[in-house]
Amino acid sequence: MKPVTDPVLLEVIRYRLESIVEEMQWSLIRGSFSPVVKEALDASCSLFDADGTVIAQSRSNPSHLGSLVFSVRSILAQYPVTAMEDGDVYIMNDPYLGGTHLPDIALVMPLVVDGYVVAMSASMAHQVDVGGIMAGSVPTHATEIFHEGLRLPALRLAHRGVIDDGLLRLIRQNVRLPDTLQGDLNAQLAAGKIALRRLAETGVRYGWPQLTGLFAELLDRSEAMTRQALAALPAGTYHYVDFLDNDGIDLDRRIRIEVAVTLDGKGNVAFDFEGTSPQVRGPLNIVPSGVHSAAFYGVRAITDPAIPTNGGCFRPVTVKLPPRSLVNPDAPAPVNGRTPVMKRIASCIVGALAQVLPERFPAASAASVLVLAFGGEWPREPGSADATAAGAPPPPGRRFVVTDLINGGSGAALGHDGIDGIATDMTNGMSLAAEVLELEAPIRLLRCAIRPDSGGVGRFRGGCGLEREYLVLHGPVSISHRGERHYAQAPGLAGGGDGALATSEILRADGRIETVPSKGMLVLQAGDRLRVFTPGGGGYGPPGERSAEAMAEDLLSGKVGASTR
Amino acid sequence: MSAGAGQAIVGIDIGGTFTDLVCVLPDGTLKLAKLRSTPSNPARAVLDAVAHLRDAWGVDPASIGRFVHGTTVATNAVIERKGARIGFIASEGFRDLLEIGRGNRREIYDTVLKPQAPVFLAPRHLRRDVPARLDAQGQVVQALDETALLAAVDELVALEVRAIAIVFLFSFLDPSQERRARELILRKHPQLAVSLSSEVDPAFREYERACVTAFDAYVKPVLDQYLSQMEQGLAEAGVPARLQIMQSRGGVSSAGVARARPVRLFLSGPAAGAIGGAMTGRAVGRRDLISVDIGGTSCDIALAADGVPLLRSEGSIEGHPVRVAMVDVNAIGAGGGSLAWLDGAGTLRVGPHSAGADPGPACYARGGTEPTVTDASLALGWLDPANFAGGTVALDVDCARAAIDARIAQPLRLDVERAALGIHRVVNAQMAEGIRLASIHRGIDPRGFSLVALGGGGGLHACALAEELDIAEVLVPRHPGVLSAIGLLAAPVEHEALVACARPIAGADPTEILARLSALDADCAAAMREEGHAQAYAHDAADAAGPRMTIRHLADVCFIGQSSYVSVPLASGDPSTMLPRLYEDFLHAHERIYGHSSREPARIVNLRSVHGIEAGFVQEAGGLPVGRSDEAGGQPGRTRRIRLPGTQAAVEARIIDRTRLAPGERFTGPALIEQIDTTTLVPIGWTGEVAPSGELILRRQAT
Repeated sequence: MKPVTDPVLLEVIRYRLESIVEEMQWSLIRGSFSPVVKEALDASCSLFDADGTVIAQSRSNPSHLGSLVFSVRSILAQYPVTAMEDGDVYIMNDPYLGGTHLPDIALVMPLVVDGYVVAMSASMAHQVDVGGIMAGSVPTHATEIFHEGLRLPALRLAHRGVIDDGLLRLIRQNVRLPDTLQGDLNAQLAAGKIALRRLAETGVRYGWPQLTGLFAELLDRSEAMTRQALAALPAGTYHYVDFLDNDGIDLDRRIRIEVAVTLDGKGNVAFDFEGTSPQVRGPLNIVPSGVHSAAFYGVRAITDPAIPTNGGCFRPVTVKLPPRSLVNPDAPAPVNGRTPVMKRIASCIVGALAQVLPERFPAASAASVLVLAFGGEWPREPGSADATAAGAPPPPGRRFVVTDLINGGSGAALGHDGIDGIATDMTNGMSLAAEVLELEAPIRLLRCAIRPDSGGVGRFRGGCGLEREYLVLHGPVSISHRGERHYAQAPGLAGGGDGALATSEILRADGRIETVPSKGMLVLQAGDRLRVFTPGGGGYGPPGERSAEAMAEDLLSGKVGASTR
Repeated sequence: MSAGAGQAIVGIDIGGTFTDLVCVLPDGTLKLAKLRSTPSNPARAVLDAVAHLRDAWGVDPASIGRFVHGTTVATNAVIERKGARIGFIASEGFRDLLEIGRGNRREIYDTVLKPQAPVFLAPRHLRRDVPARLDAQGQVVQALDETALLAAVDELVALEVRAIAIVFLFSFLDPSQERRARELILRKHPQLAVSLSSEVDPAFREYERACVTAFDAYVKPVLDQYLSQMEQGLAEAGVPARLQIMQSRGGVSSAGVARARPVRLFLSGPAAGAIGGAMTGRAVGRRDLISVDIGGTSCDIALAADGVPLLRSEGSIEGHPVRVAMVDVNAIGAGGGSLAWLDGAGTLRVGPHSAGADPGPACYARGGTEPTVTDASLALGWLDPANFAGGTVALDVDCARAAIDARIAQPLRLDVERAALGIHRVVNAQMAEGIRLASIHRGIDPRGFSLVALGGGGGLHACALAEELDIAEVLVPRHPGVLSAIGLLAAPVEHEALVACARPIAGADPTEILARLSALDADCAAAMREEGHAQAYAHDAADAAGPRMTIRHLADVCFIGQSSYVSVPLASGDPSTMLPRLYEDFLHAHERIYGHSSREPARIVNLRSVHGIEAGFVQEAGGLPVGRSDEAGGQPGRTRRIRLPGTQAAVEARIIDRTRLAPGERFTGPALIEQIDTTTLVPIGWTGEVAPSGELILRRQAT
């Protein structure tokens, strides 16, 4: 343990920094227009020191854990702190230059005191649309990043408090909903400004020389505690392999994720992805910032949650990414659909450790979230002037785009059955309310239920998947269907059974049934239904050891032995 | 709504261990007592209270004009899982609504997950679905299958449910299906309690609506029995006044109305505290207040703007959504019993774990070896070991010092006092940031507010918190430890009605809005009439004699595309300007809370109407010492050596007996004001004054 500056003031400053990022995050989420930001908390805020290390991070969606680190690094490479001025705002989103995927736009603002950058505020938010071949900018059929939208390298959006109007107009010109995007950028700007103001006040009170010393100390302490926790885990190298269904283009090709987690017993951890599939044609590739987010999540999950999260926690981590692989693609490979990959990487990391610590970590969860993006037009108002104009082609009705997120079951653990239909690991999104869906789109949710017999059997049962059934009231409706675990089950642990596979099918109005191959663009007409069954989590321990009480409860609840499929 | 002349008014706040009893005698004198609680027998509590009123204070039961109660029964039923066994009936296909929730989780880094939705309310075998649903326009898509409904209910009755929650899709657009279901159920099973989602929470989003409806059903039989017993107790004791209950939103209603909608009682206790805080401010002319109620394990923060406690329209219990209006109380897990510890890197941390009641802080000398915030206060000399809680608990200074020394001071190579100051500084940083965030979430800059110190611990932390937050003034009510009970007497009688009404402001029809508001007004007025307040509607502005009804209309508004809304007052007087003005007021409120706003189209989400009758209760200055000099030198010069932040050595602090402080008296820090329910620390750089009404006003001297 290093001799300490002031162990009390350190804690006071930590609370202050965490309060500043929470205020920033709150301001961003509440002020934003994007439903992805609001409902899925797909946004994050961080404070950085002048070297570009995270000193405080908002409690947000873990997929953002590492994302801003690389964006800030990229901005600093282009605009060194010595070139930054008070009132500057920097922007970027290019995944190949440190971003995550194009809809995530990062804004970074320096705090300049007496001519020196002393800290930075940074935020990232998932924008509704950044152009490209499909509304929403997450096209499942993209085969190069140019299909995915507007790429912004590190650029200066504002100089000394004045927005670069040319740059803003260029961005607006390239997106489908320029006002919404600008509204969300404004929310990010407002959040960043709040953080800088609060930081400046803190600096006035405690003095910057002392504060920067305390920042460094906070990082060192989180590092030390993380190393302690890592050193307490059994040393060795642990392998884990799991498979993603396909990339949405080559439907029959499974994608392999392999990770070797090495704990050296001295507090270091290495993640080596040798053995993972080469990069794919479809948009499932993941850039290094995303892999790091998953690795950082893994470190937080296997160490002590009481350790304050900052850049120090990630100093003991090394990540090895084979070139031209799924986890380290070359441009211009498409990357927009990286979320399932990130989730699975996190699940593989925990899974690798569960092999040696089965009493502490659970069986595999579904570790996937089915994303359904519905798009189409409302019927035109009957009797409106537009509808009755003779001769002219009918003008389009009001457009709608809504996204639903459906979770699978979580893995069982020693002493605990899994949970049915729950967000796990890197994401924490909420499903759509039936009453909101039907209000925003001519689609009716007919069913929202627990899927019996889908949790892996075991002494402790895996969480069940869910069933949802949608009826199209007015067609055509296009549906981007991004599933997982249609072909590879969530494995059980310590003798427990695997979770059930996912299935999705279209029930046409004329009675035909079509199976959805995990990913694809579907088109449904009025009267057609889409029925989805999400995957279950793995079970824990031999099923023969399940208690009579628990088995009776399974039958009573109908979660076991009642399935129709 | 004051009681008539010659009548006494009574407030009773029943906690787990103690029952706080307050009474305002016909001559305006305030009386307070702490009685032992009788958790198993609420009627007993009432009888005990009435006996105390009669025997100790000479109050004739027949002269009691109001009897107001704040209760934790609803909350405890949930925490202890002692609600009724209920059945849950949803539209076909939605049986699992209550268990699936929205799919998100609270603890992000936990790998082993726990249920996130309140499954315990109705496990799967107690849930059913039946054909019955509307579409988004309120048209019937599936007619209610009455046979299926009754078959489902028969099964649930066979499983011994006592209440049923019914949630049909879009029922808030037309409650007929749910009402018909209730009619059928009660005809066959009249003993059941039935909660309809269209009545409990007529608003969008079926999971949240299902949750609040199921909670309502879960606590309904419990509350019904509890309130009946209390009413019985009152009747037996010969009290003519009707029992009134504090609701979560800070207004009281009759027990009859309360038992029909028990889900509105979850914050009954804290609401009374928030009202008490606001009342403290009003007594000294302050209307913008932050009250901090610091107890053993938590610090409850509540804000009042313009004299009224702030509400949130979407509350929660144990993290589950309970979509009814509640006082906006933010709890932080830090209080006198919070444990201080060193983390793996040697940083001083305080909480979130607490010493609890057993063994309690080290200074209780009941075997606790880990230091707490209270131990630090004692080691610094801020607490009198012989006079803690009125002398009911003897404190052991040596045990406190030993715990701090062994666990904190020695490892950090500090002396005990520095370590104790550090413990306070860390816990204060937590509380201060909590207060800051709670304020900011409401668009409030705390610097212009006064801090009200409540609870046993508020007085020791308030000035330090004020300094941290750049607040210039701290108020300490006369009885910080029993303020909730006093707040009961100050709360208005209040009823709220709400209806979902999704309309863009630009395209809305003012006539329709007004029609919906008058339907809401009718609902509120019906509740008021039921409680016997019909006459309050009759008063016109010229008649100031009797209690007057205040009617407020609000609209929940958001920008189109946004999902969180802001409640904005709706000036329904002039239909032609009502909507344009609503839009402008919304932009203004959005700007204030979120720091930005643009002239994007906005829409209405819900309409609300709130009818209230002010209590008109003012705490009289009765019982205060009078005629002393204007310097607290009137008291003998008792002092104690204490340690304070920012000083290198112990200082002499004056010890002042609160009961002997007269209005107008002034004092200067360092000083400790001692009273039976709390100790107030006045640091160096602060001065204090006793207000005419008895509150302490502490002010930071300009530096």
